[in-house]
Amino acid sequence: MWAIKRYPLLWLLPALLPVAAFIVYPVAYAFWTSLHQVMLLFPGEPFVGFDNYARVLTSSYFRTAFLNSVVFMLLAAPLVVILGVSAALFLQRRFAGSMLVRSVVLLPWVLPGAISAVLWIWVFHPSFGIINGVLLGVGAVDTPIQWLNTPRLAFACVLVAHVWTQIPFAVVLTMAALSAINSETLEAATIDCRNGWKRFWYVVFPEVKAMIVVLLIYNALIAFTTYDLVYAMTGGGPGTATTLLAFQIWRESFAMYDFGAGSALAFVMVAVAALLIVLITRALPSDLFGERP
Amino acid sequence: MSLKKLSAAAMLVGATLAAQPSSAQDITLEFVVWNYALDTIQDNVRRFEEANPGIKVNVTDYTWPDYQDSLVLRFRGGTQTDLLYGGQDWLPAWASAGWIAPLDKIAPEGMIDTLSGEMAGFALSDVTYEDQVYGLPYYADTISFLYNSEILEEHGIEVPETWEDATAAAEKLKAAGMNRPIVYEYNQELPNFFDAFVAQVYGRGGDLFDEDLNAVFNQPDNAAYQHLEWLRDAFEKELVQPENHESNIITTMNTGQHAFTIVYNYVLAAMNNKAEQPLAGQFSLAPMPGEAHSTLGFAKFYAVTATTADDPERAEAAWKFIEFMAGQPYDVAKRWAVEHGLGFGQLPLLEDQEVREAWGEWVDMDVLSNQIENARAGTWTEWTAVWSAFFRPLLASAMVGEISVEQAMNDGAERWNTLREQFANR
Repeated sequence: MWAIKRYPLLWLLPALLPVAAFIVYPVAYAFWTSLHQVMLLFPGEPFVGFDNYARVLTSSYFRTAFLNSVVFMLLAAPLVVILGVSAALFLQRRFAGSMLVRSVVLLPWVLPGAISAVLWIWVFHPSFGIINGVLLGVGAVDTPIQWLNTPRLAFACVLVAHVWTQIPFAVVLTMAALSAINSETLEAATIDCRNGWKRFWYVVFPEVKAMIVVLLIYNALIAFTTYDLVYAMTGGGPGTATTLLAFQIWRESFAMYDFGAGSALAFVMVAVAALLIVLITRALPSDLFGERP
Repeated sequence: MSLKKLSAAAMLVGATLAAQPSSAQDITLEFVVWNYALDTIQDNVRRFEEANPGIKVNVTDYTWPDYQDSLVLRFRGGTQTDLLYGGQDWLPAWASAGWIAPLDKIAPEGMIDTLSGEMAGFALSDVTYEDQVYGLPYYADTISFLYNSEILEEHGIEVPETWEDATAAAEKLKAAGMNRPIVYEYNQELPNFFDAFVAQVYGRGGDLFDEDLNAVFNQPDNAAYQHLEWLRDAFEKELVQPENHESNIITTMNTGQHAFTIVYNYVLAAMNNKAEQPLAGQFSLAPMPGEAHSTLGFAKFYAVTATTADDPERAEAAWKFIEFMAGQPYDVAKRWAVEHGLGFGQLPLLEDQEVREAWGEWVDMDVLSNQIENARAGTWTEWTAVWSAFFRPLLASAMVGEISVEQAMNDGAERWNTLREQFANR
């Protein structure tokens, strides 16, 4: 008989096969590639051991891209969470046009990254952009600011665009957590405490802190691995000012045709991301996701 | 109907079909392009199909920034590709990898020599690898120094002869209230970012490499080194308005807030397009500033893949296509020139009355002819495209002061030497 107990692996095959085909095989192949010289313009793919890893780790581009990625993550993740939670608290209230405002806030979520990038390129355009238009209009500056062509400003511009695209997801999750709070508790808190900040800190925050931590971890990883906005907005420039690790993987693989180096860099990035997850998870209070007393 | 009659009728139909000559559309060629003026490409293909019953052409297009990667992946992945747009900077790598074939393999004997004899020198150089011609020009152009003649006249400024003149003119305009007089295509992801730099170095009469392909651009007395210092100085003095694409340059120059730019000639055609641009007619071409007034000439071309060249039937159809698009009497090249202002590598078109009339609307033909005569082909090796992808961010960094000119040039030279060695030992 084809009993489940007798052939457990066989019954798991329908689930295991897609996992093997779409996750295990690509990852294994990428690891194989990282250990070989896979230059698209070269014939053959000789084994080179960990040479690709050594090369990317000692390159000046890696240092820059790694530092940029870390700074980007440290700034982007808290910003997304703070702005997302603030927006969610605001949108939870009922007011005229609240449904319309909720829809507008969610708009960046439905836009593909490339479209968002084009939009922000025009917002920051020195001659035709709305920001320079306003600044010049009110006399705050005499000459247009070169937002995307000045290294530090370009980094800030990409950061702004990235945060803008990620806020809706934070809003949705926070609103879901807020809706789970007992309405009687909130009403009691409103009567007992007129200070909104204290009300948030002592009543609302404990109820949504688990969600906020999840959002922080998620956004840290998204920021650390972001690629599309950088590619479309600045191409990693000016120079290396906005070159993040994920973009450097693309550059190694598709601009320099060195898939070996690109794959090695991808594994380095995965290792760093995994380390970050472990560190963040260990830093959390042990009772964070536990049952409330 | 009886079974016998039915069988007889079926046999008759079968025999009739079998006796038919081979029907139209026996061959379908896969033609890969970047997506500039796709409507015109499709229309040219339609005309070719009408003139050549039995050959159908499928067009696949990619954006310009993605084109090179997409083609390399097609070659490596074995995706059916018969004909393609090629570029001068990619030719050595593609030819040495055996992905594209010399046209002598598919053209009638002597035909390539005949057509080569009518090509501009830089264009012929750009379609040639190891003494074999791999393509016929889709278009060929130069990168030029353009200026707004009305602005210069209004401020009593002569057309700059040297780069120092260009700085002086820009500073004078800035002092008169013009914010950032020089518009510059500043996009390190585009190959033309490097090409434009080379064109400016050629204007100075210099080169980045010596005859033995050694990198010499990191020597402080080299023209490339000096020119990068000039660019850095111009950026630092806020004389430069960076734009990330040539299409934006057209709009920006037409605001009347800028006087100079350095781009392809066809951009001048667009800037002077009276139907679309408010300041059309104000823009002119000047010889590239510098002692030599030379510039970079380049050719994009129709090429055939090696697998197609090895298949006699497909090779024959592919040659018909390339000849239709770029061969005598150069009707398609002429169409690109007249309708889109694209340059051409086929020299007889310089004397074509229709071309001269159309181009006379947006450029001084005598100045342009001199420019074409003075133009030089670039140095293109098997590793140039890979190296250029590495070097462009260094150039961009140095321009905006993120790193020093010395560091950019030394890092670039070191990478050049490494790649050269790698490619020699592959």
